[in-house]
Amino acid sequence: MRSTQSSYRDRTQEFQGIAETLKKSVANAPSSSSSHLDGSRSAVSIQSEFNKRAAKIGYGIHQTSQKLSKLAKLAKRTSVFDDPTVEIQELTAVIKQDITALNSAVVDLQLLCNSQNDSGNISTDTTSHSTTVVDNLKNRLMSTTKEFKEVLTMRTEIIKVHENRRHLFSSTASKESTNPFVRQRPLASKSAASGSAAAPPPWANGSSSSSSIFPRKQMDGESQPLLQQQHQQQQQMVPLQDSYMQSRAEALQNVESTIHELSNIFTQLATMVSQQGEIAIRIDENMDDTLANVEGAQNQLVRKAFKRWGLSRIRISLLLNLFSLVKRVLLKLLQLMNSNTKPAGKQRSAHLQVIGILSALASTDDFCPNHGFLIQLSNCFDFDFPLPRVRGIRPLSG
Amino acid sequence: MSLNLRQKQSECIIRMLNLNQPVNATTGMANEEVYKILIYDRFCQDILSPLIHVKDLRKHGVTLYFLIDKERKPVGDVPAVYFVQPTTPNIQRIAADASKSLYDVFHVNFSSSIPRPLLEDLASGALKSDSIHRISKVHDQYLEFVTLEDNLFSLADKNCFVQLNDPSAGDREIEAIVDKIVSGLFCVLATLAVVPIIRCPQGGPAEMVASALDQKLRDHLLAKNNLFTEGGNFTSSFQRPILCIFDRNFELAVGIQHDFRYKPLVHDVLGLRLNRLSVQGEKGGMKSYELDNSDPFWAANGSLEFPEVAVEIETQLNKYKKDVDEVNRRTGGTKGAELDGSDLVGNTKHLMSAVNSLPELTERKQVIDKHTNIATVLLSEIKERSLDSYAKKEYDMMVRGSIDRSELMSVLKGKGTSNDKLRFAIMYLISSENIPQSEVDIVEAALREAEVDTSSFQYVKKIKSLNVSLASVSSASRGNIVDWAEKLYGQSISAVTAGVKNLLSSDRQLALTRTVEALMEGKPNPEIDSYILFDPRAPKSSSGSHLRGPFKESIVFMIGGGNYVEHGSLQELAHRQQPVKHIIYGTTEILTGGEFIEQLAFLGKKMGLGGSTAAAPN
Repeated sequence: MRSTQSSYRDRTQEFQGIAETLKKSVANAPSSSSSHLDGSRSAVSIQSEFNKRAAKIGYGIHQTSQKLSKLAKLAKRTSVFDDPTVEIQELTAVIKQDITALNSAVVDLQLLCNSQNDSGNISTDTTSHSTTVVDNLKNRLMSTTKEFKEVLTMRTEIIKVHENRRHLFSSTASKESTNPFVRQRPLASKSAASGSAAAPPPWANGSSSSSSIFPRKQMDGESQPLLQQQHQQQQQMVPLQDSYMQSRAEALQNVESTIHELSNIFTQLATMVSQQGEIAIRIDENMDDTLANVEGAQNQLVRKAFKRWGLSRIRISLLLNLFSLVKRVLLKLLQLMNSNTKPAGKQRSAHLQVIGILSALASTDDFCPNHGFLIQLSNCFDFDFPLPRVRGIRPLSG
Repeated sequence: MSLNLRQKQSECIIRMLNLNQPVNATTGMANEEVYKILIYDRFCQDILSPLIHVKDLRKHGVTLYFLIDKERKPVGDVPAVYFVQPTTPNIQRIAADASKSLYDVFHVNFSSSIPRPLLEDLASGALKSDSIHRISKVHDQYLEFVTLEDNLFSLADKNCFVQLNDPSAGDREIEAIVDKIVSGLFCVLATLAVVPIIRCPQGGPAEMVASALDQKLRDHLLAKNNLFTEGGNFTSSFQRPILCIFDRNFELAVGIQHDFRYKPLVHDVLGLRLNRLSVQGEKGGMKSYELDNSDPFWAANGSLEFPEVAVEIETQLNKYKKDVDEVNRRTGGTKGAELDGSDLVGNTKHLMSAVNSLPELTERKQVIDKHTNIATVLLSEIKERSLDSYAKKEYDMMVRGSIDRSELMSVLKGKGTSNDKLRFAIMYLISSENIPQSEVDIVEAALREAEVDTSSFQYVKKIKSLNVSLASVSSASRGNIVDWAEKLYGQSISAVTAGVKNLLSSDRQLALTRTVEALMEGKPNPEIDSYILFDPRAPKSSSGSHLRGPFKESIVFMIGGGNYVEHGSLQELAHRQQPVKHIIYGTTEILTGGEFIEQLAFLGKKMGLGGSTAAAPN
């Protein structure tokens, strides 16, 4: 693609040239009017403190998203034998730390912003400027956090797929051997064979070093005595194999608990993020338009929808967070949804944006009137978790 | 590589928002993040609104955005980006802002090149208040045009037709208008980074604009480091586009006639402006919609006739219902179905995929609802004014060159607003070669009876009689299609009419479209041989005959107002070609039929026709 650098002209030099000439011609005129500058000095210094911190946070978010894309790349690797578990663990920890730190920094910034606004010696424009900056940072942090969550979710998926594959192997193996305790042997030897044929098995390295992060006392204690009896020569292999499995399980747990922790940050941010509606509007648009189309009936709709929501099984308590949110927040979000604004991809950052209430997946009334309702939520906790979490958004009559 | 004006202009604006720093290609963001304030004037607001949403402004660090004439409060330690036209009031306002230290740093961007005297004014104004250090950058942006679609732009230059055709206008006024148009076109070319071959018909505003533009490009190309060096070289070695400049008088009818396609209807009847539309919602309140390329239905069906659009909406709705049904079925949303354990995993998978498909379905539903609403409002207007019969009868008139008197009178006495009747009457004037005076009198009487201001009718009548008496070759205000076809084929009028009818019913070609096609082909053609050719890159003496085409890309510019009918017709031409060609259509302003009639009426009054005193249209 050709660049468009050519289509503008920098006239600054010419302008400064003119200024120089003019300055010379009026050099004798007194030109000290710096008094008004001093007056605003203190306000400016507060402002620059704010800006400095905002810039720092912005930079931090930028760096975090770079780490995040690295993590995503790592997590996407699906090969069983080249599984960069350690890097992922470390990177996950770092990002988690980053996000927590950034989150508290944003909260501080918000406080600073609030105290400035309350002090009253700054202009209204400054107030809205700093509010927008804080909102912007919140939104970006929010979408980064969401992205993080998505990467982790993907990661759990991949781990599970691997596990399933392994189980597949194991079950065929157990047919050959009557002893349930040795069912992993053929696989272990097979892996070892294929691994040693080419290179030392990477997963072995991975599991041994990951043990420093995740102690595996119990499994060593459990598996070794059982296996020792029959398979002396395989002895070293099996613990490795087992520890691998164990580390995988722990990785899974770890990821899931991280997702859980993120939810707290989400909740915090969600209560902070106030303005969403302006995101999709045009600059020439009257802002009142966008919120004008809220009708009372929708509130009822939401209430009904809540009643009919049959959530029967929630494995991770994440989803509970949904309900701990004040209903008013949901209503507010719903209003935003019904304004003409389109939910716009990543920019949309409400914690829980209700983007649709569908009457049993259909929103035409004449279509299937008696099928109950489904609230459609987007963003952080959409239902795309692995394993059954939400079962039976059941049609209820009436 | 095709010319995409919208994309180019957006890139330029984004670069400007990032303080003219290079934008990181992969993220579309500047490497360094700066929060800033954007200030623009009314004209630049029109440029920005269709291109960039608040969301995008935020993405590029703009926290606040203001009109320049709004009362603003100081915001310390924050750079301000100004995007304004280079006018004296704007300059004064910027100098005042600087003296009040509203913002820390000023990045001033002008929508077109700022003349030296104004730059001096800015410098002296800032010097006086000792705030010159605040103005850190001054840029010319060459963005003084409004892009509505990838290949549609407007110079937003009001009342060009009136000003150019005003009999009382002096040379200086005309020159000023031509200069303004040339400057706008220059901005477009600079943004596209192309130096085109220019073609235009002989005489009139088109030639004036073309030769002035040629001169401006030549002057500019003398500089070694010019706006076209970087991108231009690349294009010139391959293929340069052709710029065809026309004047509204070339084909008056398009500005007046009723059309029955979706886009022209939405524009003409509902008043689409800057891609935005406000219509009555179902429940009484006004709803405003945005109609541009982000709306897939609009992009795909804008050029269909209204009944087809209605059918298409129905189809989409049914398809949507079917998909929803499918989702319901898959998730076991039928009554009485029990979930047992064994089915659990599969069921959850279905549920998950269903939930994932919901955003897409919701979005589709929103688009369908939007167009259902628009179509409903449109339909009620069509019924009320029987616009379908206007469109059909005007079309028939153009093809046949005549109309039954009874039919004519029934339209003039029938449904429709006075503007509709006036437009029909003018179309009658334009379409027919020779109209007996008695007929004209009857039409006039009928118009008066309907309490219609006839000055625009009078104006067209006058122009027509002038043309006829001068036996002018210009096809300005007569049945162009017939006229042109007659010249081209040299056949008897009746035979041609039949042929034209076929032509029209399949392609609905306008005279403009035919001419553009011929100019792009570049084959010897009696119709276009008289057209003047300018090549700003060639030495003045050379003939440049090798540059006559064929062209893959063209820019068509209509002086004095254009509309979506012309745009649609040209796009149809572009897509019909093998391989597909690209045509960018631009005009001084986009006018509805009613607005154009107003301009004609204004001219009529100026010429002392139609009685009452002249009032400037807006």
